Amino acid sequence: MKPLDRALSWLLSGRRSAASHLLLAPASAWLMIFLVLPAAGLLALSFAHNGNYGEVVWTFGLDNYRRAFEPKYIPVLLRTLGFAGGTTILCLLLGYPLAYFLSFRAGKWRNALIIGLMVPFWTSALVAFYSWMVILGKEGLLNSALLKFGFVSAPLGILYTPFSVLLGLVYFYLPFTVLPLYGSLEKIPRSYIEAAYDLGANRWVAFLRITLPLSLPGVIAGALLTFIPCLGDFLTAEILGGPRFYLLGNLISNQFLMAQDWPFGAALTTLLLIGMVGGLMIYRRWEPDA
Amino acid sequence: MASDLTRRDFLKIAALTPLMPALLAACRRAEKGRVVNFFNWSNYIGKDTLPNFTKATGIDVRYDLFADEEEMFAKLRAGARGYDLIVVGDYLIPRFRSLNLIDPVPPGVLKNIDNLAPRFRHTSFDPDETTVPYLWGTTGIAYNKKSLKTKPTSWWDLWDAKYKDRISMLDNVRDCIAVAMQLLNIPQTTRDPEDFKKILDLLVKQKPLVKMYSSSSYLNSLVAGEIDLAMTWSGDLFQAAKDNPDLDYCLPKEGTYMWVDCLALMRGSRHREDTLRLIDYLLEPQVAADNANYVRYASPNQMAWPLADPVLRKDPRVYPPQKMMSQLMLHHVLDPEQSEMWSETWADVKVA
Repeated sequence: MKPLDRALSWLLSGRRSAASHLLLAPASAWLMIFLVLPAAGLLALSFAHNGNYGEVVWTFGLDNYRRAFEPKYIPVLLRTLGFAGGTTILCLLLGYPLAYFLSFRAGKWRNALIIGLMVPFWTSALVAFYSWMVILGKEGLLNSALLKFGFVSAPLGILYTPFSVLLGLVYFYLPFTVLPLYGSLEKIPRSYIEAAYDLGANRWVAFLRITLPLSLPGVIAGALLTFIPCLGDFLTAEILGGPRFYLLGNLISNQFLMAQDWPFGAALTTLLLIGMVGGLMIYRRWEPDA
Repeated sequence: MASDLTRRDFLKIAALTPLMPALLAACRRAEKGRVVNFFNWSNYIGKDTLPNFTKATGIDVRYDLFADEEEMFAKLRAGARGYDLIVVGDYLIPRFRSLNLIDPVPPGVLKNIDNLAPRFRHTSFDPDETTVPYLWGTTGIAYNKKSLKTKPTSWWDLWDAKYKDRISMLDNVRDCIAVAMQLLNIPQTTRDPEDFKKILDLLVKQKPLVKMYSSSSYLNSLVAGEIDLAMTWSGDLFQAAKDNPDLDYCLPKEGTYMWVDCLALMRGSRHREDTLRLIDYLLEPQVAADNANYVRYASPNQMAWPLADPVLRKDPRVYPPQKMMSQLMLHHVLDPEQSEMWSETWADVKVA
């Protein structure tokens, strides 16, 4: 027992750098093998060429990147930014009041409600989106109900519209917005708000001058956690979007699955990653206590 | 209803995670015993065909599905190994051969090979008979006869603005580009960029009318009445018509394509002997007839024809009469450069 105790206290004492390295080793090895190496492979692939029948030819050049900036892809990029931006804004509008409620008003229900927020993650997004198809389709639950109660005379075409794509995205990403918002609202010392009241602020002023500014890191974190994965999302547009809502994620998955042009797909992915990392660096600059 | 959809997308996910197929394959390798790992299209084998084979021979068949050839190809390229037998479309055979994904069927091993009709022996896409024709069919137009006032007769009906949002097209580079070529009177042998520009324009012009590009889930939408007009593969529609009798099939008057799906031996297979036994079994007249009756595609097996369901046998949509047969074209075998031009054009249609 003794040597084990000593080894443990050596490991956890946090004074020796060797011990720190050992603590970091498992996660570093994991990230190395499953993140850094594949990303490096992807980067290398993005400079390669596409050979006969989609074979990768390892001659290097910038052609794939040149192709990525062809004007025909601009609408795809703008559409993706539009959907990701729209989703982020909607998630913030829906998520902020929800996070505020959870933090300030939910009382004993809080933990149950937070668990409830996670429940959608218990099913795969795929199953969830197919369920939405069943609900939104022409013969779907929603249309049947609307028809039955006489709200509409003919089934509405809800599926395969910008609305159905946004619905799917907001449905899926809302918890990603709410949790950081909730976290930052929780961190606000309640005494600050009470101090504002003591100094004569009404509820509205206290919210605008104290709560909102102090929750901004959460707003930004929530927005980024929604916006960034949205940029790469392809499943939602694929299932709920139909052919006219082709996003960057679809373009990339198409290179790997259909067009058999892995190098071009890798170049697009690299550019997307650069954009995302750039966004995160901007966030680091904004974050007050970074 | 949703089983088809989910299957398709699970495949998509599987194809995206190169590790998963490799792991699956590793598990397979560890298994002992007589088994054939068979990779086939969804809805593409009789209900009892494989259980009967296992009963007759004691060889297990592990059956795996794909819903899209290009995705299947991507999955194999991503490292999915461990399959013994695979169904490959005629036009993909040269590609599979040149990438060394399949081995030729050794000559003289299959005792039932002579059951195949002469038309399906030494074909243009596989003159050396390295693969074995399994089923064949045509590409045509599926429609809902109750919702449409006039019956479609031409490929141009899929470009008719009055059917906006009620049309689906196969998500398949081969069929879509080929039809556009046919409508523009461009030969499949072309490598003129101008031609591909015209093809792109024609398909992009159609895009605002198209509700979905899909090779399998559109069948559910047809049955449910979400769409009324679809480019389809013959047998898939006949299967769907079992669930909705209002669905019918037409071969467009411009003529259309026939295709032949073939059984091929995967390279690196460890169950070669049992796989060949399964191929031979599928070539037995009664087995081939039962199989074709179930999946509603035409059999290339002429000994099976007398045993086929007479309703199907006489149906000109399944076995087109001689005159029509002569109008059916096989897809041209593309070289790598042409193949690249085709997929690039198709990718641009998606982006537009």
